[in-house]
Amino acid sequence: MKKIISMILVGGKGTRLGEITNEKAKPAVSFGGKYRLIDFTLSNISNSNIDVCGIITQYEPLELINYIGNGTSWDLDYVDGGIRFLTPYLKKDSILWQKGTGHAVKQFFDFINNYDTEYVLILPGDHIYKMDYMPMLKATEAANSDITIASTNLFEESNRFGVIETDDNNFIIGFEEKPDKPNSNKVSMGIYIFKTKVLEELLFGDDKMYDFGNDIIPYALKANKKILNYDFNGYWRDVGTIESLFRANMDMLNDSNFLELNSSKNLPVFSRSLNLEPHVILNNGLVRASVIADGSQIDGEINHSVIAYKAIVKKGSVIKNCCLLSNVVIEENVKLEKAIVNEQVVLPKNYQSINSDITLITKDNLFEVGEIVE
Amino acid sequence: MNNLFVIVDGTNHGSFSHLTRHRVPGAMPYGAKFRLIDFTLSNCKNSKIFNVAIFPYGNYRSLSDQIGSGSRWDLNRRKDGIFILPPKVVSSTIDNEISFQRMHEHIEYFNRSIQEYALITPANIVMNYDYNDLLEQHINAKVDISAILAENNERLKTYIIKKDKLVEFINHYDQIQFRNLTDVFDFSTSLKKQTIRINVPSFLIDSAKDLFHANMQLLVKSVRDDIFRDDRPIFSKETMSATARYGKDALVKNSIIASGAIIEGEVINSIIGRKAKVEKNAKVVNSVIMNHGLVEENAYIQYSILDKETKVLNGSKVLGSIDKLFVSEKKQIVTSEKSISVLQVSAEVNPFIKTGGLADMVGANAEEYSKLGNKSQVILPLYPQIKTKYKLLLKNISDKTIKFNNKEYKATLYSLNNNNTVYYFIETSQFFDRDRLYGYDDDGFRFAYFALAVIEFLDAIDDYPSIIHLHDWHASLIPLLLKEKNIKIKTLLTIHNIEYQGNFSNDVLKALNLKKTNNVIRPGQLNFLETGIHLADKLSTVSETYKDELSYEFYSGNLVEAINRRTRDFYGILNGIGEDINPKTDLEIKQSYDLINVFKAKEINKLDLQERLNLPKDIDKFLIGMVTRIVEQKGFDIIIPALEEVLKNPEIQFVILGTGDENYLNQIRDLAKRYPNQVSANLEYDATNPNYIYAGADLFLMPSRYEPCGLGQMIALKYGTIPLVRQTGGLNDTVENFDLSSKRGNGFKFYNYDSRDLIFQVEHAFTIFKESSPDWRQLIINAMNSSYTIRESAQQYLELYEKIIQ
Repeated sequence: MKKIISMILVGGKGTRLGEITNEKAKPAVSFGGKYRLIDFTLSNISNSNIDVCGIITQYEPLELINYIGNGTSWDLDYVDGGIRFLTPYLKKDSILWQKGTGHAVKQFFDFINNYDTEYVLILPGDHIYKMDYMPMLKATEAANSDITIASTNLFEESNRFGVIETDDNNFIIGFEEKPDKPNSNKVSMGIYIFKTKVLEELLFGDDKMYDFGNDIIPYALKANKKILNYDFNGYWRDVGTIESLFRANMDMLNDSNFLELNSSKNLPVFSRSLNLEPHVILNNGLVRASVIADGSQIDGEINHSVIAYKAIVKKGSVIKNCCLLSNVVIEENVKLEKAIVNEQVVLPKNYQSINSDITLITKDNLFEVGEIVE
Repeated sequence: MNNLFVIVDGTNHGSFSHLTRHRVPGAMPYGAKFRLIDFTLSNCKNSKIFNVAIFPYGNYRSLSDQIGSGSRWDLNRRKDGIFILPPKVVSSTIDNEISFQRMHEHIEYFNRSIQEYALITPANIVMNYDYNDLLEQHINAKVDISAILAENNERLKTYIIKKDKLVEFINHYDQIQFRNLTDVFDFSTSLKKQTIRINVPSFLIDSAKDLFHANMQLLVKSVRDDIFRDDRPIFSKETMSATARYGKDALVKNSIIASGAIIEGEVINSIIGRKAKVEKNAKVVNSVIMNHGLVEENAYIQYSILDKETKVLNGSKVLGSIDKLFVSEKKQIVTSEKSISVLQVSAEVNPFIKTGGLADMVGANAEEYSKLGNKSQVILPLYPQIKTKYKLLLKNISDKTIKFNNKEYKATLYSLNNNNTVYYFIETSQFFDRDRLYGYDDDGFRFAYFALAVIEFLDAIDDYPSIIHLHDWHASLIPLLLKEKNIKIKTLLTIHNIEYQGNFSNDVLKALNLKKTNNVIRPGQLNFLETGIHLADKLSTVSETYKDELSYEFYSGNLVEAINRRTRDFYGILNGIGEDINPKTDLEIKQSYDLINVFKAKEINKLDLQERLNLPKDIDKFLIGMVTRIVEQKGFDIIIPALEEVLKNPEIQFVILGTGDENYLNQIRDLAKRYPNQVSANLEYDATNPNYIYAGADLFLMPSRYEPCGLGQMIALKYGTIPLVRQTGGLNDTVENFDLSSKRGNGFKFYNYDSRDLIFQVEHAFTIFKESSPDWRQLIINAMNSSYTIRESAQQYLELYEKIIQ
């Protein structure tokens, strides 16, 4: 018997991130030098003292599974619970392929039943935020709601999300997924607490209950379920596109106390150690207004950029307003501006890519977006 | 299945000054994010060795903290795994290497291990190496024991030996003359041995200086590439910190920066640990900053090691040098050298009155404090000897009537200024107008009164002190009286020798008429020193090793509990010798000398010594000298039986100068009678300067049973006379065993208080002297290059004062 267990939905391919998610699920995408997107959700679960976490994967899960391991880096390696990877498997005569977020949870409902839990916390695995889920659970219990949805106020792009309308008691009276004309700034963060019984009823009541935002929540509203809104006021980003990934990285650079990442007290954010040596700045190196991860060797100039682990930047190169993902090699005299350089990419000597709009540089497109300037 | 198991030797103390106050050397931070033990354990993991035992000493919490279940190194096995095997015999003290006796405490571990070979290696070594390669070389060479050397031939205290052979030594630890594997390797004649020199960088880290050097070496690319390799990563405990962050004005050159660090200022040739912060306009050059260090705005530091959580305040300058690094203590707050006002309280102070080393130390430090720009004051009783000699210079500054023991006493305070140091003398004829300083029935009353008078005169002295430094039991009641009178001045109590405690009846306490009850006092008796130990803000003693020894009952006896309760506040600071002690400027010796002419001069001085003391003049004789009080403490219970044996060798001469216990004097006279051509005994009080012995002898013998600090060995070193000492107290901190392979070390030392071990070392020294003259000359050079100065000692006290005042 558990009070609450958590389920992370990893599913989506994240096509709008292009080559970055070519061989990995979106939550495995690198952020802020040393983090992966999934670190935030896993750390939140750990900090909320939730000891069961089912991770439902579908697309390219290998790197993510390797990265998370048994969850020890997030203190989630429990004997009677901990991390469980829930991957599509063959059932009788059909492969269980997920048709949506709700459908994915439905397929692994046995896993939920196993724990005889009162509540289920449903989480996306690719958002950047720090949150303790316990107050949200307390609010759920206090209001005796069937479902609680965490929301935040958004002043742009709210049409990318589920838009929420509430009554005076903060109960949800309207929910519209990705509306053309949003009539509120309050959007769903895709974080739900369900009473287990209610979740089961909703998922198994009708065959077409595939997606939480599109199908299940609107249906629950119609069915007069008590749905509580839970306001979240902290920093929150859903990095669905190259632009938003870049912008979130820049948010980190511009706020010296971004999410209090250095504090081990207030909801610390853990990440897996890669056993790398600390980075080294060589004699020609000049680093300003930037963050640099372990294992890097910097002999060039880095300005207002995020450098992930094991990057090599040789002398004469100037990197400005960029994100270098892990294992990037920048040869001598390279000039880069406003670019994300994908993992493992080697930029040859004298390469230049100066952009006014954020540009992703990959193995394949590097000479489309840049050139050698002798 | 790997056929090797690993013994990690964590018994070594090293000489790290503050850095080992809160941790053992294996837990020392290194390379911005690692601890030293990470390297040895990672080598085990990368060599697929899964049976590892760690033998730590003392406070190994920091080590177990770091290791945890060993899962980082795959050592959380069902079969084998990692074992932390703490000392069982709590009385065993410092050792520089794991002994067979120490291993015997956990003999079951050895019996249970199924691997055929053992690798023994220290916890404080930095290298990245495949142990299987060493095992292969060992097996191929068909030897019994292999010693591993660094690229530069330095010993790594790392050995490979068959388990059966090792267990044999362990089982017979009390019957063999070898204490550890280094002894076996150096002196065993029956074993087949080889050395294996490894061809990658490796650093055995025994001191703050070694630690600094090994950190700086990481800034060399080739070293870094050999230590951090993709195929053999160094694993360390997982921690939580953000990506390292650089501010918009950061300027970093040739430095290693760990994650979590925040760099807003300038960093050059430095190693910056996790979550350390260098603020705007601060500059860090050639330094090592450990985790959570903070260098505030406009501060400047160079050649420093800042321990964890050290804070360098805004605008401070911390100027270490390559020879004298600045080393902070964990959580220390560092400010620029600023003037401190100190009052030292002692029963005796050189040059005014002296019966022992205490007076020298207090006087020398007082002068040094003023030279370093501080307000230095000293207060002591006015004895008649002082009054006679300094009458004209004494200035009367205050008179008081002091109530003590229901009577009223007249007290007068005099002062005397010498080179900016101010000395104060308290005159009360009833207590201090006597022939001797101590040894009266009412000593308890006399020094209780002294303590009270010091407090009464605090307002009368020039400069109200920010700290009072108390020496030995005579001043030990002062913290009690300060508390009674609610005076908030910080105190430091230095224990020069724990044997002198000042134990008196409670009548003394009644005489002070204390109003508050105090639970540190036992009913019925008053122990001055114990009271001071309980109530002083901080404690210190005169060497790091003696400080450690005092946590064992063997050394501190009845006060062991009192001492151990104050471990956190207890420091060891070595005394030093003055610049006036120097063979170059010594007019009392036949031929003055320095490093340039030492070899010739030592011969001339030796012939002079032999002539003065009526021994046959022969520069080829091995001349052993002693200048000492002849009492039990100095080791005469083992010296005399050892001499009986050693003097059978006609090539050895022995001279001794000193007086003391009649029983020993008679035995020495007897030896001199039986060996007239070898022994010269000078046992009467001799007013002449003993320096001709320091200048003329080859070996200086000082095998004390215990020795808080010791000055004789420091003088001997300065004169290029090789000390042979027992590994105890200050002797252990000043003498390093000569190592034939690396040619490092400045003398000889042995561990057991046992004449057999003493004889063994004398014979070892004799062999080097006779058979290996280049090595002996190197020893002389190493000895003369050792430096233990008053200035260094005084600076450490000033740093400690600062810490206390904060």
